[in-house]
Amino acid sequence: MQEYSSQAVYDRGEAVCVIGAGASGLIAVKNLRENGFEVDCYERDTVLGGLWNPENQHSPLYPNTHLVTSRSQTEIPDFPMPDDWPDYPSSAQMLDYLKRYAAHFGLAEHIWYGSEISHIEPVEGSRFEVVVKPAAGSAARRLRYGAVIIATGHHAVPNLPAYSGQDLFRGTVLHSSQLGDGSRLRGKTVLVVGGGNSGVDIACEAAVSAAACVHSVRRGYWHLPKYLGGEPADYALARLRRRPRWLRGFLTDRLLKGPRELSARMGMEAPDHRHTDEEPVRNGRYLEHVGDGSIERRPDIARFDGGEVVFTDGSTLRPDVVVLATGYRPKIACCPPGLLGVEGDSPYPKLHARMFSPRVETLAVAGLVEPGVGTLPIVHWQTHAIAHWLHIRKGDPERAVNFRQQVVAESVQYAVESTGLSPRHRLAVDAEEYLAGLGRIIDTLEQEPAK
Amino acid sequence: MSLQAWFRRTRAPEPAAVRREVVVLEPADLFDVETTDDPDAAPVLCCTGQSAGAAAFGPLWLKRIAGSGRHAAALSVRGQGGTPEAPGGPEARAHDIVQAAIGLPRQAVLVGHGRGAGWACLAAARYPAAALILVSPQGMPKHPPKPVGAPRVLLVVGETETQSKEARAAAEAYGVAPLTFPGTAGDVFEGPAAEALLDAVLPWLGRED
Repeated sequence: MQEYSSQAVYDRGEAVCVIGAGASGLIAVKNLRENGFEVDCYERDTVLGGLWNPENQHSPLYPNTHLVTSRSQTEIPDFPMPDDWPDYPSSAQMLDYLKRYAAHFGLAEHIWYGSEISHIEPVEGSRFEVVVKPAAGSAARRLRYGAVIIATGHHAVPNLPAYSGQDLFRGTVLHSSQLGDGSRLRGKTVLVVGGGNSGVDIACEAAVSAAACVHSVRRGYWHLPKYLGGEPADYALARLRRRPRWLRGFLTDRLLKGPRELSARMGMEAPDHRHTDEEPVRNGRYLEHVGDGSIERRPDIARFDGGEVVFTDGSTLRPDVVVLATGYRPKIACCPPGLLGVEGDSPYPKLHARMFSPRVETLAVAGLVEPGVGTLPIVHWQTHAIAHWLHIRKGDPERAVNFRQQVVAESVQYAVESTGLSPRHRLAVDAEEYLAGLGRIIDTLEQEPAK
Repeated sequence: MSLQAWFRRTRAPEPAAVRREVVVLEPADLFDVETTDDPDAAPVLCCTGQSAGAAAFGPLWLKRIAGSGRHAAALSVRGQGGTPEAPGGPEARAHDIVQAAIGLPRQAVLVGHGRGAGWACLAAARYPAAALILVSPQGMPKHPPKPVGAPRVLLVVGETETQSKEARAAAEAYGVAPLTFPGTAGDVFEGPAAEALLDAVLPWLGRED
């Protein structure tokens, strides 16, 4: 590609623009290429792999991140992980896997690194003008594409709670993404805030390396070990859902009884939702660390008071380091909010079937769901559907209209949408139902055209 | 692969992992043949139903494929050649092929011979092969699943078996006309018939369409 002045618009014809070269972006590029599309993928960082790449300056990895879903439930359906890998691969293996995927399907040549998209805008009906934010000193580039797929994920902005008196606190306050290799915890008194997967993992890390670890949790969560009944827990639970309904409830209860009773024994608040409603906490070591006293549990923080932290039960603590494992908020800055169905300034888009823009037919978002199971397969089927849709739209407008109606119908079914409880969980979907919906969409797309 | 097939598979036990024998010959390994190594050309992964496994392809096939500038690999599925026996039927052997394919540097062409053709067409429904080549297929599934990624399919049969039930079923399932080579299913690995077979297959691979 040659240089352009800021005024000139380079027309890429029917090519598709993919924003982000993380796991979702890579899968989108591969599936679009498979359907015969030219693709340009823009990555603001200088490496691929998104959140799995510690070299990515926006990476949310914390020390010793491992998958919380097992290999068979997490791998990309048409490119499995090596079957001699462990059940729960590490983040380093995950990155290796994504790099292999990119090399295997020759994706790297379609990625433009160090290119942040500052703005996208529909032009000429359903096409898009994309503005690439200039690198230092050069002019912005403008390009036109037939379609845009946003794959920037939902770990965009750290979700930071504000407590009164926090600015006068003299210790260190970090978000989980700033922890790096975890050496900052060694020998310190650590307070971990947040009861989700990252909070629990970091508490376990601090339990062995820090001088003392206190874990502040606001509400009840489902705590599942990584193995249930001799099998990876997510696989064991997923299999039960194939059973008849009357048997399923009984078997699931029996499988979850042990973890539930153990959490109760550790004095944890019982969760007020079902284990499928939002991502459960999957960590077998946590409850044992609570049991042997190396993690001390406290309720929510009320305020900071000088060097002390006061909890809602009136107890106090003088921590050296406070780690806020309070999650992320999605943010899609480059896209006008109206196109994503957003009203007001909510960061949570309202999309058809959680992927298609309600306003423009050629705009889709991949991977903006939290299904409580491995996300890669979900993204694979999403982008499979998106690529097929763009393909049909190009060749057979009549079928495209029928399909559009089907998608709208599917999303109406999701009107209840998220089962998540806290704002952090607004992207949660029931994996089983969502996949069934995706399956119906794909079936409609793959039907032979009526002659 | 349909979503439903994937869904069923992820809710069933995975076949036992085995250490698979994969014999690889790269163009650079050939000292006696002048080749042009094309890094963009799809590697070729071969699999047969015979118990020798990868060794069957060694003397002729791998050399000819590598000689055409491609990364050539042959696999022994569970129970063949140097790969230990492990439980599992055709699905487990298809799993072996997929696992070997993801270990190759680029999207691979799958070649299945004999019963291996049946396993290869199951594998092609789970892995987007660059192309699928079925040589004298035997034991094909009744309704071969649709390959993912719409690869080109080549069916090659010996002169004597063009009218066999298996060959006709495969031709119909994939909507391709079989390519015949002078000889029988037993002539695939050596002799002039095998050379003629490769003379037909390799140009087909190189063709762009």
